[in-house]
Amino acid sequence: MTAASAAGQGPIPPATLWRLARAELSTRFKGLRLLMLCLFLGVAALAAVGTLGAAIATALATNARQILGGDVELAVWQRHLTPQEQAALQTYGPTSTGTRLQSMAQASPQSPAVPVQLKAVDANWPLIGHLILTNGQNVGAPAPNTAWLTPSAADRLNVTTGSKITLSGAPVTVAGLIADEPDRLGEGFALGPTVIVPADLPQKAGLESPGAMYRSKTRLACARTCNPAQIAATLKAQFPNAGLDIRTPSDAAEWTGTFVARMADFLTLVGLAALLIAGLGIAGGTASWLDSRRPTLAALKILGATGRDIAQITRLQIAAAATIASLAGILTGAAAVPLIAEALNGVLPLPSTPLALAFASPLALAKAFAFGLATALTFATPALASASRWPAMALLRAQLTPTPAPLKTLAPPMALGLTILTALTFANNAPPKTTALFLGGAASLFATLTLIGLAIRVLAARTKPPKNPIAALALANLHRPGAQTVRLVTALGFGLSAFVLLAVIETSLAANIDERIPAKAPDYFAIDLPPESLAPFTSKIHAIAPTAKIRAIPMLRAAILAWGPAQNQTRTADLAQLPPAAWALKGERGITFSDTLPEGNVLTAGTWWSPNDPTPQVSVDEKLAQTLHLHPGDTLTIGLLGVERTATITSLRRIGWGSFGFNNVLVFNPAALRGAPYNLAASLQLGPHTPQTQTRLLQLFVKDFPLVSVVETGPILRDARTLLQQISLAILAAASVTVLAGLAVLAGAIAAARARRTYETVLLRVLGASNAQLATLILAEFAALSLILAAVALALGTALGWLVLTQVFDFAFLPNWPRVLAVLAAGLALVITFAAAASLPLLRTKPAASLREL
Amino acid sequence: MTTPHSTVAPAISAQNLTLTLGQGPGAVQILKGIDLTIPAGEIVALTGPSGSGKSSLMALLTGLDRATSGTLTIASQPFTGLSEDQLAKARRGRIGIVLQAFHLLPTMTALENVRVPLDLSGQTQNADQRARAELAAVGLSHRLHHYPAQLSGGEQQRVAIARALAPRPSILFADEPTGNLDAATGAEIINLLFARQSETGATMVIITHDEHLAARAQRTIRLADGRILSDTAA
Repeated sequence: MTAASAAGQGPIPPATLWRLARAELSTRFKGLRLLMLCLFLGVAALAAVGTLGAAIATALATNARQILGGDVELAVWQRHLTPQEQAALQTYGPTSTGTRLQSMAQASPQSPAVPVQLKAVDANWPLIGHLILTNGQNVGAPAPNTAWLTPSAADRLNVTTGSKITLSGAPVTVAGLIADEPDRLGEGFALGPTVIVPADLPQKAGLESPGAMYRSKTRLACARTCNPAQIAATLKAQFPNAGLDIRTPSDAAEWTGTFVARMADFLTLVGLAALLIAGLGIAGGTASWLDSRRPTLAALKILGATGRDIAQITRLQIAAAATIASLAGILTGAAAVPLIAEALNGVLPLPSTPLALAFASPLALAKAFAFGLATALTFATPALASASRWPAMALLRAQLTPTPAPLKTLAPPMALGLTILTALTFANNAPPKTTALFLGGAASLFATLTLIGLAIRVLAARTKPPKNPIAALALANLHRPGAQTVRLVTALGFGLSAFVLLAVIETSLAANIDERIPAKAPDYFAIDLPPESLAPFTSKIHAIAPTAKIRAIPMLRAAILAWGPAQNQTRTADLAQLPPAAWALKGERGITFSDTLPEGNVLTAGTWWSPNDPTPQVSVDEKLAQTLHLHPGDTLTIGLLGVERTATITSLRRIGWGSFGFNNVLVFNPAALRGAPYNLAASLQLGPHTPQTQTRLLQLFVKDFPLVSVVETGPILRDARTLLQQISLAILAAASVTVLAGLAVLAGAIAAARARRTYETVLLRVLGASNAQLATLILAEFAALSLILAAVALALGTALGWLVLTQVFDFAFLPNWPRVLAVLAAGLALVITFAAAASLPLLRTKPAASLREL
Repeated sequence: MTTPHSTVAPAISAQNLTLTLGQGPGAVQILKGIDLTIPAGEIVALTGPSGSGKSSLMALLTGLDRATSGTLTIASQPFTGLSEDQLAKARRGRIGIVLQAFHLLPTMTALENVRVPLDLSGQTQNADQRARAELAAVGLSHRLHHYPAQLSGGEQQRVAIARALAPRPSILFADEPTGNLDAATGAEIINLLFARQSETGATMVIITHDEHLAARAQRTIRLADGRILSDTAA
């Protein structure tokens, strides 16, 4: 053996392998386009979702001070800060104080009254950021007897700048319309459009009387660099029982941030699902590609390439194709973000330049890229391993029976690839439990679909062939060796099941909001009704709506200061961290008192007090009791308007939250809250009524009870419905990626079977089959597959939808079947159209030419 | 039948080679005990009717297939008992193969095709120049950067010959090298093969139906029904 041949016995250097791979790779990546398309779709979806989510999260964090309106915010119900509390805050810098409460606005005595969220601000507001009006003016607090209105408030009142309106009876002039409110996101959920007024208006209008439901907010902008968390901790320690709700910039836009994060997590998981489906396409595409390259592989083997060399060369080629596809995916996904953000313009603070938006998160793009590459290499492994084992002589012969690689060859690279994919999945920001549930759910769904595909093959094989030869051939194509049935049922079944699942959930939620909730929920809630006004309130309402059901309860707000056995209470202020699920300990909450067990509540422990019992007692929600380890006989101490009150727990209750009535985790007996000022909160369920009834009632509230704030549930439900529709649209768009990935798999399956189909078509032509018969064969096969897919998707999607609705959300299962079936039909039409368009060109095959080639 | 006797190790030495394809009742014995010794530098023609086992024998001798039983040594390398990958490595730099269907790599140019065996056998130094020289030797200097689809059948086979000889193998196998070519082109290819063999001194084994071609070889081994029927010197 020569020295040169001796050198050739060792492994081929990587540079040589790459040179062979590159030279052999078509510049147009012929044969790998399906793989690239599958990857492109999944990676683009992941990149877009990841980038947008990160951009929003960063924007919220960057603007946190502005969103909060300061460095620290102290909020408290039914009172303003005491001079000591105010002074403690002012040692750190300037402060701004204001009030938040419900009010009724009216343009004229004849026009409808509109519930609004009143935001009273002082001369220092806004401490951070700017209030910009629609005319471009940069303003602060409104002048006395004027108000800034949001455009939606102006629309509902049908007023404009210069108009005069009343707010709970107090006359004001609309001085301008708000274009940009700097701390809007930090205000949280509001029961009505916002109206900004001077700080003294609520008191002048009588809206801050003792017992009224208003919330004062005082914000601090540090004079020097400060540590908001430290200031918050100091204030909490200084005023442990004051019932202060203290927020820092990290708490700002809490709900928005959490909502955005959860949506981003969910959409990321949907993108991952698309990539996993793409994996199926990649597996099939790689197998087809390698099969088409048998002459090349044969030549390499003849020239002395080992199976390992061939695997490495083809792996490099796949990696090159995957790199280009993933790069294209992340660039496309990033480019889509500014377009998506356009829809959120004005809703969320986002970077203004498209470039800043598109590349807001290089990490998200890197993760999407890594996912693409890992998916490609993992799912290509079985085909690569199999092809590398093809014997040289078998490659040279006309027929090759594919032999799967043994498990011991396949297991290590597959295990490594799947481990990397799992690790990357957990590296997303979604909670690990959610990710684990998703992975488990996706794996189960894939496994279920694979089993269904296998079952279909077995059933098709065992079904007696129909007499019609075309139908018989169509049936045979479902189970013959090399049939793509399992792959197609899995890939397309996943996407179509997702469509059905989403349609079932969305239409059920909509039905719940449209039908079930309004049937049970009150039409109005009235807040700050003085106790002495209840009788005239009730009689005047019944004069307009005789069938109205009115329920009124005392409404106060207090903070839980301590709980537990009388001699060994735990104080909230002493806790370094609140127990999980102990939301009731955070800030103040609504409490009430009653002689009787509230409607919709069931006693689960202890006994209800008798009327006029002088001993202070309290009944606690059973879930809160479980969280705080409370039992009948223990005590509970609350801080109510700065005064501590202790009561003995005499019962635990199960609350029927679905009753849509007033529900309180703490219900005291009258003795426990004796002497505390309070107003009533009332719910009104009108029963059958006309729009005129509603108009008259709203006018009554404004005219005769100007200090009572009324909340209409109708607009809130409408807003919820709109939000649900928007969310559904976003989720459906994301889920469409899974269907597109499934279509890519379908394209691959059709391509893989092209040689066989051409052969069959030619032979049938030789035997006398017409174009119509051949077209029928092609369509019959895909129609059969589509019917199967329809049944599978409907069954799986519906079952999962029922599970999610009834067991997770505790909603009624009310899908709109026509809509669900329409969504499924649209998906199937797409599948059949695509399949037919890809397959019908076979009809143009010329038998003579093909026979020469065969 | 005469066999040259030499003290130099033979290029090819096979004892009782058999090849059976398939299993059970469907098994077919293609080769039924082949004993064969070919000295280095000899030109041998393998002839016989269709189905006699010529191509199968060549597959064994080139390491493209593995014998069911028997022993085989090629260029002092035992081929018996080697795995697929070991056979592939054994081919590198040692054996050149020219096939009827050319089997060029379709996505590589003529130059790249000829370079591949040099890369695989580790002969990367001046590989480009060597590949150019091989192509020049077969008269294709003007076709270096053409792809197989852009070459005629004859040109493709010339590239295949250049590729087979580029790593200077000690043995050259040609299986019906003119089977896909017209008579005139085929004759050119054969002349080229013999000329290149003469220049390199490689042992050459040609499978052919063509008695005229067989007559040009130094020795003709005739196969029938999986056995050697005759083995005659020219």
